[in-house]
Amino acid sequence: MTIAATFLGGAKSRLLPASVPFRFFGAAVLFHPAAWAVLAWDAEAAVGFTGGLGLPLAALHLLTLGVLAGTAIGAALQMLPVATRQPLGAVWPARLAFWLFLPGVFAVGHGMGALHLWVLVPGGLAVSAALALFGWLMVDNLRGAKSLPIIAAHGWLAMVALAALAVLGLLLVFDFQSGLLQDHTAAARAHLILASYGFMGMLVMGFSQILVPMFGLSPEPPVLWGRAALLLSALALAVATVGAVANDVVLMLAGAAIGLAAAGAHLWTMAAVMRARMRKHLGLSFLLIRAGWVLFPLSILLGALDLLDLLGPRGGTLFGFVLLFGWLLTFLLGILQRVLPFLASMHAAKAGGKAPLVSALTAAMPLKVHAICHAGALVLVAAGIVAESPVILRLGAVAGLVGALAFAAFAAEVVRRMTGWSLGRTQK
Amino acid sequence: METDRTWQAADGSHIDVRGLNPPEPMVAILTLLEKADTGDVVIVHHDREPIYLYPELAERGWRHEIIAGEPGEVRLRLVREPA
Repeated sequence: MTIAATFLGGAKSRLLPASVPFRFFGAAVLFHPAAWAVLAWDAEAAVGFTGGLGLPLAALHLLTLGVLAGTAIGAALQMLPVATRQPLGAVWPARLAFWLFLPGVFAVGHGMGALHLWVLVPGGLAVSAALALFGWLMVDNLRGAKSLPIIAAHGWLAMVALAALAVLGLLLVFDFQSGLLQDHTAAARAHLILASYGFMGMLVMGFSQILVPMFGLSPEPPVLWGRAALLLSALALAVATVGAVANDVVLMLAGAAIGLAAAGAHLWTMAAVMRARMRKHLGLSFLLIRAGWVLFPLSILLGALDLLDLLGPRGGTLFGFVLLFGWLLTFLLGILQRVLPFLASMHAAKAGGKAPLVSALTAAMPLKVHAICHAGALVLVAAGIVAESPVILRLGAVAGLVGALAFAAFAAEVVRRMTGWSLGRTQK
Repeated sequence: METDRTWQAADGSHIDVRGLNPPEPMVAILTLLEKADTGDVVIVHHDREPIYLYPELAERGWRHEIIAGEPGEVRLRLVREPA
């Protein structure tokens, strides 16, 4: 038994208490409207944003840390023990991580937006500590992985990227205070690559291998293509990150080209899964997931075109928006709207007897409003960036805000219906 | 219809999904439940509790209970609920 496993020992079930994943999902649902609202607040600065402290950077981190990482942590804590066939070492580090994560993300957002370094620095440290606890739990679980080696390998890559992005993130925070980095922009670019395509991308690609077949009721994805996607992703990440740190455009372009091949291999496995699925009607959630699949390679392509200076002065801003709000947010919201009622039903069933129907826990109208507003937000904000129009960008961000509030209403309704069902059963 | 993983017995249709990687057990069990010749009782032989299966069973009108099985086995009895 590893030292970590000995220390962590305790949790017996592969199914965590519902409160653990749900608190991270809850945080993601709350940070989602906050990210759009802050983007709308300073649309003038967001139109030409290329980095530096201010409200656009705050919006970016409310999204990446609050929404994307919050969703990924909740899902990974729940899914990894199932994929590796062994329980999580202990539950308390996950709970502690949450209580560092929640105020930490608030502080990072406030510190960046209000230019308060005395808030930003402790916030960054708290978030890093939360991510370290999460990484520790994941690594401890991955070390004993008994099955699904491709998913486990994606998990390992995500953890390597997490460690590197957290170190770079802290260096960037301290650089605002003391100017210790030689090239802040190069480090920020490497941080973005590691956070989006590395940490988030590897978790998305890895867990897609189990979540998409599970929701579509399909056989296991083709192993050969999954392995190809994994190897190409690892190579692309290494080459692009080194290129970003060294400010070497050729290396970054090579990383983008390999990354496109990795995305192609991944999407090929997903297409095979979709072709073989038993469930024909996948609903609104898969509309977002499919949109995410289109936006994933598009983001890489935009990144490459921007490196070649073919997108004009706003190319970098457009690339970042399509990558984070386009691919990652769209895909994860598709997964989250499927996972929330599913987990709620599963936990109720675990308590014994009959589970509430997933469909009975799902409110359809807020999800429709969200999907329409989210699509409108993506189009309008992208148009605002291209046209250099703060008015159009603000309209888009407000549409995103309305959609995010609708999504929050959906999540609140899942919890309300779930609580009502549990109370009804207790009183019988 | 019997295969190397499914068979009929006096207590209902049986399916053995031990050793399969997720989500193969779920797919195999749900495929069996949707077959016309599957009765109202299915016994599942699993190597772990299929927690992700439960919401799918509920959607299809099946109840589940864990019953005694061999050492290292999780055995479930699935019963179709009256329409």
